Amino acid sequence: MLRIRNLKCYYGRIMAIKGVSLSVAKGELVSLIGANGSGKSTLLQAICGLLPGWEGELAFRNDSLRGLHPSAIVQKGISLVPEGRLIFPPLSVLDNLKLGAYTRYRKKQHIEIAHDLEMVMTLFPVLKERTRQAAGTLSGGEQQMLAIGRALMAKPSLLLLDEPSMGLAPLLVDKILKTLVQLRENGITILLVEQNAQAALKIADRGYVLETGRVVLQGNSEDLLADDEVKRAYLGKDYGDFYDGRG
Amino acid sequence: MEYPDSEQRLQMQLERLQSTLNRAFRSVPFHQNRFQEHEMDPYHVETIADLSKLPFMERKDLGEHYPYGLFAVPLRDIVRIHTAPGTNLNPTVTGYTKQDLKVWREMVARALTASGVTALDILQITFDSGLANWGRDYKDGAETLEASVIPNTPLSLEKQLMVLRDYKTTVLITTPSSASQLVSYMFHSEFNPTGLNLKTLILVGDTVDPEFRAFLEDKLHVSVWVQYGLSEVPGPAMAFECQNHQGLHVSEDHFFPEIINPKTGEILSEGEIGEVVFTSLSTRAFPLIRFRTGDKARLITEPCSCGCPFARIEWLGERTDDLLTINGVKLHQAQIARHMEKALGFAPEQCRIFKQQHSYLEKYGARSYLEIWLLMNEKLFSDEIKMLQKLIHNAEEKLHENIGVPVKIKLRESRTFSSENR
Repeated sequence: MLRIRNLKCYYGRIMAIKGVSLSVAKGELVSLIGANGSGKSTLLQAICGLLPGWEGELAFRNDSLRGLHPSAIVQKGISLVPEGRLIFPPLSVLDNLKLGAYTRYRKKQHIEIAHDLEMVMTLFPVLKERTRQAAGTLSGGEQQMLAIGRALMAKPSLLLLDEPSMGLAPLLVDKILKTLVQLRENGITILLVEQNAQAALKIADRGYVLETGRVVLQGNSEDLLADDEVKRAYLGKDYGDFYDGRG
Repeated sequence: MEYPDSEQRLQMQLERLQSTLNRAFRSVPFHQNRFQEHEMDPYHVETIADLSKLPFMERKDLGEHYPYGLFAVPLRDIVRIHTAPGTNLNPTVTGYTKQDLKVWREMVARALTASGVTALDILQITFDSGLANWGRDYKDGAETLEASVIPNTPLSLEKQLMVLRDYKTTVLITTPSSASQLVSYMFHSEFNPTGLNLKTLILVGDTVDPEFRAFLEDKLHVSVWVQYGLSEVPGPAMAFECQNHQGLHVSEDHFFPEIINPKTGEILSEGEIGEVVFTSLSTRAFPLIRFRTGDKARLITEPCSCGCPFARIEWLGERTDDLLTINGVKLHQAQIARHMEKALGFAPEQCRIFKQQHSYLEKYGARSYLEIWLLMNEKLFSDEIKMLQKLIHNAEEKLHENIGVPVKIKLRESRTFSSENR
């Protein structure tokens, strides 16, 4: 569904993504893990058209995304849940959600939108209780739910999430990730960017490890979870667990 | 068996190749320096075809970085260390991570499945000590299939035959020369192959010509399957026959094959005969980047009716270098000479090295061994024939231990040394 080949992204003269190739098949949940500054968010921004000037090949359903405006990319079926949620704090929960369906209102899909709104409310019942409340007054976890709900309102076939667990309590992280599994079961394809590698790999089918703008490892998530290098670098295991004085 | 479609496979190969190059560049000084010498960065490899911009890896590189210089992971991640005879005095040392072993198990299991092996089979492995690594990999792969495995143990022919018969072995994995030796022994000892349950013979380490295949199938009442691997790095069953027996499918999800002109290094067009070069796509501990195998083959990319989408090689047996293949073990002339020097305690003035066959039967039934001729001179000469015999015997044993194949040393006078027809 999503195919990336040799993607290079630049900030000025600095190459932040150095020839990344990755792919997400229909119905898959793929996690992209890596340390701070490894280029994970940059990659998502390039997919969404927020970072022009990339080189390489970005194709969604075999159509190139080159030169497309972010809104055109949303209309193709790609939605981003950005890092730090970026909801509109003064607006109500309902308005935030409706804004997610912005491109669809122009296509007069009112009935479908109402149906999707219902779906989001069922997915996150807490949002239903707070439809009139200003989004800025929600808790962190609720805001994340709202951000995901808003992305779903665009009726994406590919959902991109940038660090949805950031700053959330473990219980909430669990809830958010469970929601992603549910969404995948509903047929949405997901590319998840996470620093919380363990949590991200646990729910994913496959994963990629990004290091200073390059993919250094990919594979099935259970293989990555068992991988010594991944454990050392991203799963926060103690060094002593691995080599008891050896090496 | 399920295989990805061609577009998916292409994407998977590219992704795996790029991360292999990234890891090698990041972790192995040898690879990093070579990229830099060619003014390349891994990101310059944008397609599989771009591989041709990279330099080759050769057997001598493995010896020069003895023991761990080409490892791409810390030693604490290594779970198995293999040693194989190298091209000089240093053996070739390779390592495997947990993941690597898993990949090998699955790859070998897949190749065995293609030969019709199932969980119901009793599988016996018989190799020379020089191929002990393959013995382990085949054991692991067959166990993954849940077949009953009789692991590789050095046994006399008599005992081997006893196990084959009494344990009701259905699949035998061995080298062509050992198989022919077995046939010869069976017929000499008047043992009828109807007394065996054997149905599948998997031959590795050397090519099998159609005539020889027919001979073995006829004499042992089996079907013969050929598999290809690298004895030094990283293992067996990298290419395997399907039921059509028309070339060997390369496990292209883990190894990318190229066929090159051994003299110029250029990539040959499809169907031309040249040297096989492999690049590993998933190996973690010991990445191979354009490794020259020295084996001659032709690439077949036409789809095979068995449904396996992997390209095939027609493996031709000849070599593009001066390596001798003895019972599947690859040996370098210079390496043998150096071991000879060590075993004797001095460099022999002249020696000639041959691959020989015991000739129980006229044409087949022969098992290869290494024959070395030494030129008799004053240094070697002793007036006590016992001393001389002892020296030769010790040298034979030391060589056998070091290179893992049977060795016979013969002393020759200068008159016969260069002229006599062996």
